[in-house]
Amino acid sequence: MSINHEQSIENNDDIIIIKDLNKWYGDFHVLKDINLRVKKGERIVICGPSGSGKSTMTRCINRLEEFQRGSLIVNGVEMIEDVKNIEAIRREVGMVFQHFNLFPHLTILENLTLGPIWVQKKPKKEAEAIAMKYLERVKIPDQAQKFPGQLSGGQQQRVAIARSLCMNPEIMLFDEPTSALDPEMIKEVLDVMVELADEGMTMLCVTHEMGFAKKVADRVIFMDAGEIVEQNTPEELFNNPQTDRLQLFLSQILDH
Amino acid sequence: MKEFTPLPDKPAPNDVVGIIPWLKDNLFPTPLNSLVTLAIIAFFVTVIPPLFDWLFFSANWSGTTQAACTNKDGACWVFVIAWSKQFFYGSYPVEELWRINTCLLALVAIIVASFKLHKDLRNKIAIPLFLLLPFLSIILLDGSLIGLEYVATDYWGGFTLNVMLAAASIIVAFPLSFLWALGRRSDMPFIRSVSVILIEFFRGVPVLALFFMGSVMLPLFFPEGTNVDKLLRVWIVLTLFMSGYMAEVFRGGFQAVPNGQYEAADSLGLGFWQKTLLIILPQVIKISMPNILATFVMLFKNTTFLLIIGIFEMLSTTQTALTNSNWLGGHSTEGYLFVAVVFWICCFSMSMISSSIERKLDTSHKN
Repeated sequence: MSINHEQSIENNDDIIIIKDLNKWYGDFHVLKDINLRVKKGERIVICGPSGSGKSTMTRCINRLEEFQRGSLIVNGVEMIEDVKNIEAIRREVGMVFQHFNLFPHLTILENLTLGPIWVQKKPKKEAEAIAMKYLERVKIPDQAQKFPGQLSGGQQQRVAIARSLCMNPEIMLFDEPTSALDPEMIKEVLDVMVELADEGMTMLCVTHEMGFAKKVADRVIFMDAGEIVEQNTPEELFNNPQTDRLQLFLSQILDH
Repeated sequence: MKEFTPLPDKPAPNDVVGIIPWLKDNLFPTPLNSLVTLAIIAFFVTVIPPLFDWLFFSANWSGTTQAACTNKDGACWVFVIAWSKQFFYGSYPVEELWRINTCLLALVAIIVASFKLHKDLRNKIAIPLFLLLPFLSIILLDGSLIGLEYVATDYWGGFTLNVMLAAASIIVAFPLSFLWALGRRSDMPFIRSVSVILIEFFRGVPVLALFFMGSVMLPLFFPEGTNVDKLLRVWIVLTLFMSGYMAEVFRGGFQAVPNGQYEAADSLGLGFWQKTLLIILPQVIKISMPNILATFVMLFKNTTFLLIIGIFEMLSTTQTALTNSNWLGGHSTEGYLFVAVVFWICCFSMSMISSSIERKLDTSHKN
């Protein structure tokens, strides 16, 4: 195992390397021998029934979840039990949550500048310029002085994406970014994500938006019961499922 | 396709607006309610006029001695007026009263400043000033360190002492209790158990018992010959007592901050203290504000218990005045009523300030 390990560090193309990752919640085995390599610039969509471990796996990548066995290398840094090490990885990995998780006591602009100012130690002026640049990219620069509670769900989620982008991450993780949104707001968020994908950002996205997957994903991963069951290009995976489990899943989500 | 137009607004029906329908709906909707309304009106009519007569119209206002209270059907406010300096300032030397006033003005000024200042300045200026204020006040009131006339703490007293003790206690208790609450949530067993023991001790022991410990027991633990001022000991006791309560208030606040806030802060790469101070603490304070204030009002009123260990706060000054040989005319109603009104006005003002802070902090979001 340690030999494989060294080989994986040498491979510079892979920005995320997950090897034999196992995680338990008490006795419950949530992640079983996960192996995954993500190339720089690759866009991956992760789907699967609820409870399949797809969110948990994604959250392991920036250590919001601990794992008990296996190894994880993000952008050349191996995840070990060390605060500095974990913080270093988190700086490279942006994360967008299902419930946005904007800081309600700060204005939109302050939400965006917090990371650059306190983590990257940038001067306030520079941080604000960066923040405004990304707010323009997600098309809500006019909301900069408002508080998160005054924005619609779709706007809040776009702010959350901009907040992550302000840290200039190498990798973006999306944990069901549209699941808490009304249907008419899903599109505005997906549009931003498509744009981001077109610019070559490395993306891992847990989502049920199959249209988005077909449009941008290089690879779709299907997870069930804590395992990666199938992975393939979107066309192959959706049109030519190899396992019963994937067939069942697809029939359930594509029926209506 | 026909274009959608909403229906025009209609006025509310006549029988639900105006005074008559309001009276009918709220005061006389049923025979029983009408009866209750009439009974309450009758009660006010019989009680209010004599009360106002005693309080104001027949009351004795002018004069300096007990002899001036000629009308026995009215309150003797002369007693309160004659003793007002002691009630407010205790035995502090008259020519040095400006020091107390300066301290109180500074307290008010900082409170006002923390409302009016811009957010960035508030954190940089008002908070450090708040934390320094108790210590600067002690130096000024004591006077010996800065070349003013030395005033021993035995002469400090009256209502201003209640205010300053309560304020000084809460100011120091604020950071202390926050650390205790943080410690209670810690993963580190040693820090957690120390925090739990401290919190539960100071919450579980009656405040009067703590005062006696502070004044009688605590000196036994100091090395022979050291004399720690009684007021200082009381201040420490009040601070620790307040910290125990506020730590629990803060703990409730911590639990109410959604997990997503911690995760979002973590995912940005913020360190533990950055996350705690920039993201979690502001939200904890906002959530806990009503309870922090309730705890503070409780502490403020508890300062009157200090009369038992011989601190000359307002209530004990009032009792001294009541037993003064020149004023043995039975003015306890006036005296205690005055104490009650002064405390009530202060506590009520604090409630108003608190709700104003809540409105200011409420950026109307619940997620």
